[in-house]
Amino acid sequence: MDQEFSLTSQLRDRRLVITTSGYVNNTGGQAIATEFDRHFAQGVREVIINLAGSKVVNSVGMSFLLEILEKLQDAGGAMVFTNLDPAVDKMLTIMGIFSIAGKAATVDDAIKKLS
Amino acid sequence: MPSALPVTPDEDRFTGQLSSRIGILQQGLRRISRSSTLADLGACSLEALRLTVPSMETGLGYRQKGRKAWEALGECSARGLTELRRASADAAVPNPATIGKRGGCLVQRLADDSSVGLFVRPHRGYSVTDLDLVTFRLFLQLFDGAYQEMAFRKNEKSLVFSLNHRILQLNSLIETGIEVSRLTENQSPHHLALIRAVSLVNASRGVVRVHSGKRLREEYVFPEGSPLRQTPGGAGRLESSFDFLDHSYTFVLYNKESRDGRGVFEETDQLLLDALARQVHASMENRYLHEQAIEKERIEKELNVATSIQAKILPDALPKIRGYGVAGVNIPSKSVGGDYYNCFELPDGTYALVVADVAGKGVPAALLVSSLHAYLRAFLEQAMPLRDLGSRLDKSLYRDSTDDKFVTAFIARLQPATGEIEYLNAGHNPAYLLRTDGSIEELPNGGPPLGILNLPIVFESKRITISKGEQLLIYTDGIPEAENEHEEFFETHHPLAEYFAAQKPASADAFIKKLIADVKQFAGSGPQSDDITAIYLRRI
Repeated sequence: MDQEFSLTSQLRDRRLVITTSGYVNNTGGQAIATEFDRHFAQGVREVIINLAGSKVVNSVGMSFLLEILEKLQDAGGAMVFTNLDPAVDKMLTIMGIFSIAGKAATVDDAIKKLS
Repeated sequence: MPSALPVTPDEDRFTGQLSSRIGILQQGLRRISRSSTLADLGACSLEALRLTVPSMETGLGYRQKGRKAWEALGECSARGLTELRRASADAAVPNPATIGKRGGCLVQRLADDSSVGLFVRPHRGYSVTDLDLVTFRLFLQLFDGAYQEMAFRKNEKSLVFSLNHRILQLNSLIETGIEVSRLTENQSPHHLALIRAVSLVNASRGVVRVHSGKRLREEYVFPEGSPLRQTPGGAGRLESSFDFLDHSYTFVLYNKESRDGRGVFEETDQLLLDALARQVHASMENRYLHEQAIEKERIEKELNVATSIQAKILPDALPKIRGYGVAGVNIPSKSVGGDYYNCFELPDGTYALVVADVAGKGVPAALLVSSLHAYLRAFLEQAMPLRDLGSRLDKSLYRDSTDDKFVTAFIARLQPATGEIEYLNAGHNPAYLLRTDGSIEELPNGGPPLGILNLPIVFESKRITISKGEQLLIYTDGIPEAENEHEEFFETHHPLAEYFAAQKPASADAFIKKLIADVKQFAGSGPQSDDITAIYLRRI
């Protein structure tokens, strides 16, 4: 089950892929937002959040994700979540995330979706 | 009705210019309505104002409710912020108008008691006019409206988020209840409940500990490997526990999180944790009761099978032997034991009388009785000496039984015409032969129980003769060891040999009926502790 939070990121064709591991809580959400802001300032407008290593997200972590989504929306960007655990998938659905963000099985699928 | 005053050309020009400026402002402020942050709002507002009054340096500052310091909103020079601080020093004046011809500041108190400040400095060669002053006041009014709208949208979002979170909590509570009830024996419902509790109440970490008495049996931490301590300034801990069987389960959550890193656990958080703990408790109880029911069902099925096997093997009635009265009985206890008895005629005209007791209960014992029955008939019909029969039976039963199973048996072969009896006692209770003079002859052991050792055991058979009027009683330990409510044996109060000698039965059946009645009367209403089996033979 989930360890303490960590993340990695990479740019694929000007698309930011953030891959997380562990509990997405205040610390995790903050780390994702910081990583996003760094790339957003450099003009990145498409983001893929790969939650393969995160089976648990709390609502504080979720609020950071929503904030990122709003920034992207305002800037005409887009965001796709991938590799969702069923419990996280249900959580994001209930919180209304998928009315403004996409969902894909894998990172490659997410890239195709954004293309 | 007073008549309207005529409009002067100056007034008309003023109104026209103001309308034009309002138009520019409104056009610019349309973007403001989409602002989601205060910084966006400031930047957009300032851009609109600068389009309206391009001949002036303008800047915006923002001061939160209860604070003295101003922060730049969009662009605002240090000089502008200093002017704002100076202009708003007089707290008694809500909207101090300090803009003169060379510029200055205007402060507008916003709906939430925070303030926005406008700094104005005309470029060289320009001065602030009345039209500019009205424009600035109008701008601040429009800003206040946009700020309220943004705050309303923010509150609305927050409310929607909060409502969705409550829905999520309720949904998760229901889902977790279902999930924990579906977990297999090897999965731990308290682990799942802890993870759900930590995330649903926004705790930073948690632990569930399982104690047996004072001894810690298990500790599961989420997130795994995280330190179990409160962070400085963290809002304490939340705890819920329950006891199940001889274990106590305690859930502890640490440090409520919020966007600024700190929070306070609320009453609803405690309710949620308690509800999740109750679900785990209920799931464990249900699982335990389910397992008990399955085990009970399994035992009942096994008993039914064993009863069925025993019913097929044991005789419905014993044969009539000319010159003898013979009767037998088998009353199995509730748990179905492995007692066996039989009396049947052999091809050479002799009769076999057998009483045996298989160690153990249930289907395994019943199956061994079945084997004993089959071997006995086969070997006895071969008319071999009982000592040889004992050896063969011993080997066969050893092969067929598990280590903890064996059989004690009393096997007799009666020559009806002469009254000669050859018998073999393999580890069984001694049978009693009651002579006509009232003396009792014990028919003791001639070898160990059958099937207990994988050794070439030599069994010893013996011969006796039963004369007219003499009686033989073969029995299992269920009779002498029948217990009363004080856990006393029948044998203690009624030594069986003496009891046997004292009886004057009218028939074999009458003896058996009396024996059973006396044993049952002794035992009282308590449960029968073991099978009761006996064969009685009387030469007439």
